[in-house]
Amino acid sequence: MNDHFALLALGWIGIYAPVSLGAIGASIGCTISGQAAIGAMMEVNSGYGRFVGLSALPSSMSIYGIVVMFILNRPVIPANAGALFGLGMLSGLAFLIAAIYQGLCCASAIAGSKSKPEIFGLALAPAAIVEGFAVFAFVFALVAAGGIPSK
Amino acid sequence: MSPRYTALMASLPPLGGLLEARAPAISMLKLESRLTLLHPEDKTILDLMVGFLSQAVRDDDSLASPVDTRLLASADQFFKEVSNPTLRQLVSQRLDLRTILAALRRRHRGESEPPTGPAWGFGPWLGTIQRRWKEPAFGLEAVYPWIPEVNHLLESGDLVTLERALFGVIWRDLDRLGFGHHFDLEAVVVYVARWALVDRWSHYDARKAVTRFGDLVNASLAGIANGPQAPPPPRSAPATQPVAASR
Repeated sequence: MNDHFALLALGWIGIYAPVSLGAIGASIGCTISGQAAIGAMMEVNSGYGRFVGLSALPSSMSIYGIVVMFILNRPVIPANAGALFGLGMLSGLAFLIAAIYQGLCCASAIAGSKSKPEIFGLALAPAAIVEGFAVFAFVFALVAAGGIPSK
Repeated sequence: MSPRYTALMASLPPLGGLLEARAPAISMLKLESRLTLLHPEDKTILDLMVGFLSQAVRDDDSLASPVDTRLLASADQFFKEVSNPTLRQLVSQRLDLRTILAALRRRHRGESEPPTGPAWGFGPWLGTIQRRWKEPAFGLEAVYPWIPEVNHLLESGDLVTLERALFGVIWRDLDRLGFGHHFDLEAVVVYVARWALVDRWSHYDARKAVTRFGDLVNASLAGIANGPQAPPPPRSAPATQPVAASR
């Protein structure tokens, strides 16, 4: 009975993990890049908006987490609990780590482009590449979720 | 890498390459103001390091030998209090460089044997330097490939090029140590160390140096002409070229 209950709990954790881990990662990433934006604004006299806009980029991981949660959300039964846990937890971890590193990329982009505004576009490339990897995790989580039984 | 000082590092302007800037990109006042963003314990560590990182002789330093004692005592205190491996390596490298320079200058001044008596150097190479005192690069060419060039510049009296070469050595060391550190304490320390180099270099003024040199020569000649005098003030005392004098 207890094993059955633990299995169902893991399934529920898996459903909510993408949202929680994505939100944690987005919080950390946005904090890192936001601090860089504040630091850059201390140094420059204009162009504040783009720094603030760039610092919000890691928040996309939270959105991916929400979408994955909606896809995974279904009645948890012993037949699908393991799959829900594995898929939800691993995609959530991917969003968490991608958000943190994207925050660092954004911080570097902000720090670099404050004194050389002409590199702003190119400086976004590392953050965009990290976003690309997160999109891989997101898309294939959706694909894999299609194979999880609901009954 | 812990991004603890993202705001601080992002608020600091780039310093550019070595010897490129005619003035530091940020004034000392502004830099000190930005460094108030450091956590108190990290500020303490930075304050401990400033004496090693600065290329300038501090106001309370003299060219007399107690500088060595004070510097080595500061180094002991630093290594007792700081466990961060990058910061320890940074200070260790700087003290190694100063020790080697002090040895080269002592030898250049005519000391045919390594100094005996109070400690005058620091680091794992001190014993090797003392044992191989008569070799041009103290047998350390493999570890420090810059020693032969620096020795040659010192012997030829090309002090400006010598200083430039030393700044290059320090700059490259900072490049290596700062690799992978962007928004942490190590990045802040490396920035301050670079700033100190740029500041020092930008304050060099050949005309003022010639005037200062002339004043020192006149003061020395006046001392000889007037016979034995009371000991001169510490700054103008005959240099015994301690470790600190290599800055």
